[in-house]
Amino acid sequence: MLTGALDGVKVLDLSEDIAGSFCARLLADYGAEVLKVEPPGGAALRRMGPFFHDDAHPEKSLFFLVLNLNKKGATLNLETVTGQDILKRLASHVDVIVESYRPGYLESLGLGYDDLKELNPELTITSVTPFGQDGPYSQYRGEEIVNYAMGMIMSISGVQGREPLKHGGFQAQYEGGLFAAATTSMALFGREFTGQGEHIDVSITECVASTMMATQTMYPFMGGTQVRRRASGSMFGHPMPCQDGWIIVQTGGGASWEDLSEFFQCPEMLEERFADRAQRAENGEELDRIVIESISERGKWDLFPKAAEYRMLFGLVQTPSELAQCPQLESRNFFREIEHPEMGTVRVPAELFKLSETPYRLERPAPTLGQHNREIYVEGLEYDEQQFTQLRQLNAI
Amino acid sequence: MPRLPLEGIRILDSTYVFALPYAGGHLADLGAEVIKIEGPGRPDVTRTGGYAGSFPENQAGEGWWNKPSTYNLLNRGKRSLVLDMGDERGRDLFRELVTVSDVVMENFTPRVMRRWGLDYPNLRKLKPDIILVSNTGYGHGDGPYSGYPAQATTQEATHGHCWVTGYLNDGPAKAGASFVDFLSTWSAIFALGAALRYRNRTGKGQWIDIAMYQAGVMFLSEYLMDATINGREGGRLGNRHPYRAPQGCYPARGADQWITLSVGSDEEWQALCQVMGRQDLASDPRFGDILSRRNNHDELDDLLGQWTAETDKYELMHLLQGAGIPSGPVLTGRDIHFDPHYQRRNFLERVDFPEEREVGSRFLMGRPYKFSNTPMSIRGPGPAFGRDNKPLLRELLGLEEDVYQGLVADTIITDIPTSGEASPQMDPARAVELGLLADYDPEYRQRLGLA
Repeated sequence: MLTGALDGVKVLDLSEDIAGSFCARLLADYGAEVLKVEPPGGAALRRMGPFFHDDAHPEKSLFFLVLNLNKKGATLNLETVTGQDILKRLASHVDVIVESYRPGYLESLGLGYDDLKELNPELTITSVTPFGQDGPYSQYRGEEIVNYAMGMIMSISGVQGREPLKHGGFQAQYEGGLFAAATTSMALFGREFTGQGEHIDVSITECVASTMMATQTMYPFMGGTQVRRRASGSMFGHPMPCQDGWIIVQTGGGASWEDLSEFFQCPEMLEERFADRAQRAENGEELDRIVIESISERGKWDLFPKAAEYRMLFGLVQTPSELAQCPQLESRNFFREIEHPEMGTVRVPAELFKLSETPYRLERPAPTLGQHNREIYVEGLEYDEQQFTQLRQLNAI
Repeated sequence: MPRLPLEGIRILDSTYVFALPYAGGHLADLGAEVIKIEGPGRPDVTRTGGYAGSFPENQAGEGWWNKPSTYNLLNRGKRSLVLDMGDERGRDLFRELVTVSDVVMENFTPRVMRRWGLDYPNLRKLKPDIILVSNTGYGHGDGPYSGYPAQATTQEATHGHCWVTGYLNDGPAKAGASFVDFLSTWSAIFALGAALRYRNRTGKGQWIDIAMYQAGVMFLSEYLMDATINGREGGRLGNRHPYRAPQGCYPARGADQWITLSVGSDEEWQALCQVMGRQDLASDPRFGDILSRRNNHDELDDLLGQWTAETDKYELMHLLQGAGIPSGPVLTGRDIHFDPHYQRRNFLERVDFPEEREVGSRFLMGRPYKFSNTPMSIRGPGPAFGRDNKPLLRELLGLEEDVYQGLVADTIITDIPTSGEASPQMDPARAVELGLLADYDPEYRQRLGLA
């Protein structure tokens, strides 16, 4: 009986980065059997913080942990002849390989899509890279800030007169991972009817760009180019300080401008000079002043349910520890606990969305380095004990 | 033609605004028959040109509801049915459609589908293997915020992104565009592919319950871990990186032109000094390793900003990338139409509108991915309001002509919105003056070959 939506799907995760790891984790979360294949020195992500109790130990990267939940792990050195041979043997029995190497690298080892599909025509390779597999920048190096810059979003983030601003954290990498998991799931469904795999080419920069609907379409529709907001007089619609933090309010939703004026207890908002968008832009500094003044003595947690009564589009700036204690996330069972051999019981952000028939399951923490080598190589590929030792001596695993 | 993955899949797409409508558009690219359903008095808000959508040549005019840029990008390749779901007759027709469909998508607040008797338990009675995709702000269930109204740009604060976004030593900020919407878009596509495969193997449908808030929080996983385990609150780094230095966004030649770069190792730092022709910096102990470069980041920013300011942003990228340093120019909505990489990858597709729409041809973004064996393209613009009322109700459901005309007479179906108006568009020159647009180029159609 199937219990996960992707039960029976076997995945090799060759990625060392955030995007590929997140993609493979999502597949694992919903039922795929995922093997993380790391170089003998460990995936690069193991060296990235934050670390458990700030201990920079390769088994204690919290970033590695959270992006590799539900996976098994083995080591394999793709730069050895034996390692390449092993990858081919593994690739013959899996449905998906997730990888994020520089385009052309796997091909140079004889492990590209064209090589592996000869062995396994049903195989899908999902490649997640900064600029995609082809085109003049495909060999260029990406970084989070570069994906944001070239994906247009920085051109409209931050304020005029200052430099464009990137999003905090690693949103572009997570986006690349999610979009890659989505396209992989579509390829797997398509394969049900064609019996054929795909080489899926996901460009992280294009993932960011694809979200810029108004920004991209403005030029071919009317010749305009969007811009960052003005440095002053444009707080409305952006985080505004209140007594104990920041809130954000947008016009629209179920609340009229009159409702907003009542919510802010701010009758001046109804004056003629704020009557429409153009006037509110022209008198923006005044509008900001009176609105911010009106909430200076009010707390964000009091304003939040009040705004819901007015059916307003409202947000408050939460901190990570507020999120960790959020009753809404609790009600959605978003966090789960898992036992890790080096860290003990840890609480992790777990469930992305709910599936009624095939719910999310957290079955194992991230693998320790080479944790399942014996299972994969001795029990799976039937190397005997002597050969298993040799594989390690050859630095193949 | 290779078979598209979703060929033969029919999707009832009763969704509004950005998140799930865009999922529907992508599902149409993937081969599904996607039927967009709107109410007679409730045309999708993107049809009004609201939320920074643009009208062709900035003119709303006749049939404005079929023209806006974002509406057509998000809803490309769909069919359109206009049906009053507030009326029992409308809901009955919807129920009949459910019996001949594979998937229903909706993004009403949790109480609405229940009130209409169209929640998952009821849909399942009509079609036992139906797959329902729901997207809400905070998710279904009994949580304290489940009934709250929500939309992406304000949720960006609530789900924590604003806390970590902003200039160094400055208050929280949000990114310029709606962001978390698209996490729901792609969560829906991911979940749907998995659910369809499961249905194909077991005959069972299911309910996919997506909460934008939850998806947004997931994308801050490492901050949550750091807070839970180490008691650290994260915060704003501006354009800097927690483990690399220098990293930033620096002025390039020209007005409001910028280049980004990121140095992750001592080798890359040495290469950067070489490119800058500053061997003196290569041996400067203030910048000798990542930690010292992080501690002296302000001075590095000054040095880099002086060096980049006189050079073209593309030239800087090629120079820096040539030395192995991650780097790229800040591209605007205009820039990508002329960028050789975007062009070579055919990211922008020319979409021809039917003549009566008076839109002509425009460029819309395709997909951020390619399948090697199954080429895809945008299969058409967003459908005109109610375009497919007749084929869907008369042919697919087999409604008699007089019954159909009765529904038209009672405005249960229509092809002209009964309410709503085009969002006012500002004169572009005035918008530039007010700082609401960076630039206005009257020659855009010639430059793009659309004239």
